[in-house]
This record gives sequence, structure tokens and C-alpha cells, in this order.
Amino acid sequence: MSLVLHDYELDADCYMVRLFLSILGITAETIAVDVHPGHEQRSPVYLALNPRGSLPILVAGDLVLTEAEAILCYLARSEAAGSPFLPDEAAAFGAVMSWLFFARGPLGAATAARLTAMLEAPGDPETLERQARAAFRVMEDHMTSRHLSGASWFVGDGPTLADIALFPPIVLSRDFGIDHDEYPALRRWMRRMRTIPGFITMPGIPDYH
Amino acid sequence: MNLVEGWYAVAIADDIEPGTSAGTRLFDRELVVWRDLAGVSHVWEDRCPHRGMRLSFGFVRGNHIACLYHGWAYDTAGQCRAIPAHPDLAVPETIKVATYHSAEASGLILVHSSLGAEAPPPPAPAPTGRALRSLYVDLAPDVVAERLLRDFTALDDGSYAGTLAGAPVLVFLQPFTATRTGLHLVLAGPGDSVAVSAAAEALRNAFEASSAPALEAAE
Ligand code: FES
Repeated sequence: MSLVLHDYELDADCYMVRLFLSILGITAETIAVDVHPGHEQRSPVYLALNPRGSLPILVAGDLVLTEAEAILCYLARSEAAGSPFLPDEAAAFGAVMSWLFFARGPLGAATAARLTAMLEAPGDPETLERQARAAFRVMEDHMTSRHLSGASWFVGDGPTLADIALFPPIVLSRDFGIDHDEYPALRRWMRRMRTIPGFITMPGIPDYH
Repeated sequence: MNLVEGWYAVAIADDIEPGTSAGTRLFDRELVVWRDLAGVSHVWEDRCPHRGMRLSFGFVRGNHIACLYHGWAYDTAGQCRAIPAHPDLAVPETIKVATYHSAEASGLILVHSSLGAEAPPPPAPAPTGRALRSLYVDLAPDVVAERLLRDFTALDDGSYAGTLAGAPVLVFLQPFTATRTGLHLVLAGPGDSVAVSAAAEALRNAFEASSAPALEAAE
């Protein structure tokens, strides 16, 4: 199945999908959308594809998918059936899904804070920053507990979609003024993310050569 | 509560892995904590002499730390050794990062808060324990110190001794900024590290919750 990704390089949700595609070793045709300053994602052509006016959009034949976490789940099933990134076992599946909803829920403040800081999207920076820090603290406490239990990833013994979905908002947090000083457990985990075969960066994520 | 210049814990030693760096703050001053590949930790002012970029954003290569912006590389004494844009230049001795006195004890990285000055010896290592984790509280350091003293006992080395989840612990306080405080937790005897860590989170949350009305009133 040919895959087409409607993409904006600086968008953290688009990066989430690009990262997983790269880890899976899949090349999708990528169409660059002029989000800033063109707002092309809200042009009539794009609203016909995705009425929400957001990116990323993945087109697979007749199927049009939006929402980055849903696209991750689709790719895990369609391109990597049986892959540990989206476990079959009920408890692990449930745990991964709860982090995916966390990524779109409380952690969404981080993505919104970054868009407000970088692309002049509407939003109250102080409120968003406070909400983002609260979400980061939930992640930090979880990964501290995991580390003390001898575990390295958000769920189970290896990377899952939970790690892929939670990574962009925190690794890019300096774009909206939150340093990583208070997150030692997340720093350790972010370094580990870089060891996943196929890992790629985006602008704002240092590429250490 | 009088938090004055002196030795403070700024990180759990194991959280600064060889070849990595992290930023932190002490009395609102930005510090970089990094560990070279030989395993030695360093604490410096977190400011590249070139254009002021935080060195904690940079990366460690062997026994140098390199700035993210233009790659100026500093040796373990803080001396600049390489400027990529001018590879043939003999780097002047004056290009040097300000360094703090630091030490490792009880599984913690300790720093003397006065930059450059002669420092008294670091506090004697506490009896053996396991340094567990760091937590950051959204409250002023003196407020956190005062709250700790309700249930903990202040020791000579600046730590606070008490009990969490039934286990003996030491808490080292880091005056982070005027409104934030770091706590570094050492398990000082037998105990379940995950339960102790969770109890510390509950303590942090209780500290913040009891001060929340004041915070909201100030907004
Ligand atoms: S600011 Fe550090 S090398 Fe330029």
C-alpha cells in the first residue's frame, strides 16, 4: 500500500509520525504543507481532506487518517503486525493506550505551548506552561519509578507507541521555555530513545555527531 | 530558616551518566553538571564564553564538553581547547568557563555555591545509603526547609533525616530559584525504594497543596 504523509517539518505531531515511519523502515511519500505562514492546512483543499484543519494526515489508498496517535496505531497494525510497539496482550495494550490518550490530553498543553511560542498560535502561554509542567511531572514520576524498578521504557521491556508519542513534546520543550533541568528520569529516557534503530531528529532536537 | 552559601546537592550522581550533561540552578544561578568519559563529574557556570549559550545544551566528547552553538570545546578545567571555525588558532588561555568546587558523596553531586572562591571541605559522607532520586517542589527553598523541619531533623551536613514509607531517609535540599526547590533523596537503611520514592512524591504534593491558596491569591 502506498503511503502519503501530508507533513510540516516543524510540527511535533508530524515528527511523531515521521519518527515511527523511520523506525519501521518505511518510506512514505511526503507532501510538505505550508503551515507557516500560509495556513495551507486550512485551505479548502485541505479542509476537504481533514475538516479539523490539522496535520499530520496519512493517506493509504482510500483511507484518510488524521490524529498522530491514531496514525501510529494504524501503522503498527498495517505495517508491523505483531510488532511490540502496539502489544496484543491486554494489560500492555491498555497501558500503551492510556499513555496515547495522555499524550493527546494533558500533554497536549505542551504541544499547544510550543505552537503559541513559535508559530503565534492563540493560547495563554502561562496557563499552557503550567499545564505542560504538570504533565511532564507525571511522566517524570512514572519514569523514576520505572527506573527504580529496573525498567527503561514507559510500558514493558522495550519501546512502544507510548514512548514514540510522549517523546516529541518533552524533547522540544525548550522551544517554549521549559528546560530539562527538573527531569533527570526523562533525560535518561530521552537519551535511550536515541538508541532505537531508525531514530531521527527534527529541527530543535540536537543531532549529536 | 537560613539558607546561606555553602555545599548543596545538585544531582543524584547516577543521573549524570558518563558522557552526558545537564543543567541545574543554585540560588537561581545556572549551572551545568557533566561527567566526562573517565567518569569524573564537573560543575561549572552554565554559560559558554563565546556567546553565552547554556553549555548544558551541548555534548560531551571524551574529556571535553562542546557547545551546541558553534562547537567550542572545553577541557575538564574549563579551558577552551578548540574553536571549529578557526582550527589553526592557538586558543587564548583567557577563554575559560567559570568552575565551581564540586564533590561526590553519598551518591550525590555536591557543589559549593560560591563561584571560584576557596571552598571549605565538602561535608563528610553520610553513612552508606542509596541515593534514590531528585524531586522539584514549586515552593521557595525556605518554605520547603520549614515544612521539612516539622517531620524531619536537620543534621550538621545540611541534610534532613526522617522516615518515608517506614524507611530511614536523608533529604538534601537545593535552593533552586526563589520559587523552586530541589530535593535529593537518599535511602539510609533497608526499605522499598519504589515505595519511598512514591512517599516522597506525596510529601511534595502535600507541601504544594498546603500552599496552593496563597499561590492562587497571588495570581
Ligand atoms: S556560543 Fe558557545 S560556541 Fe558559540
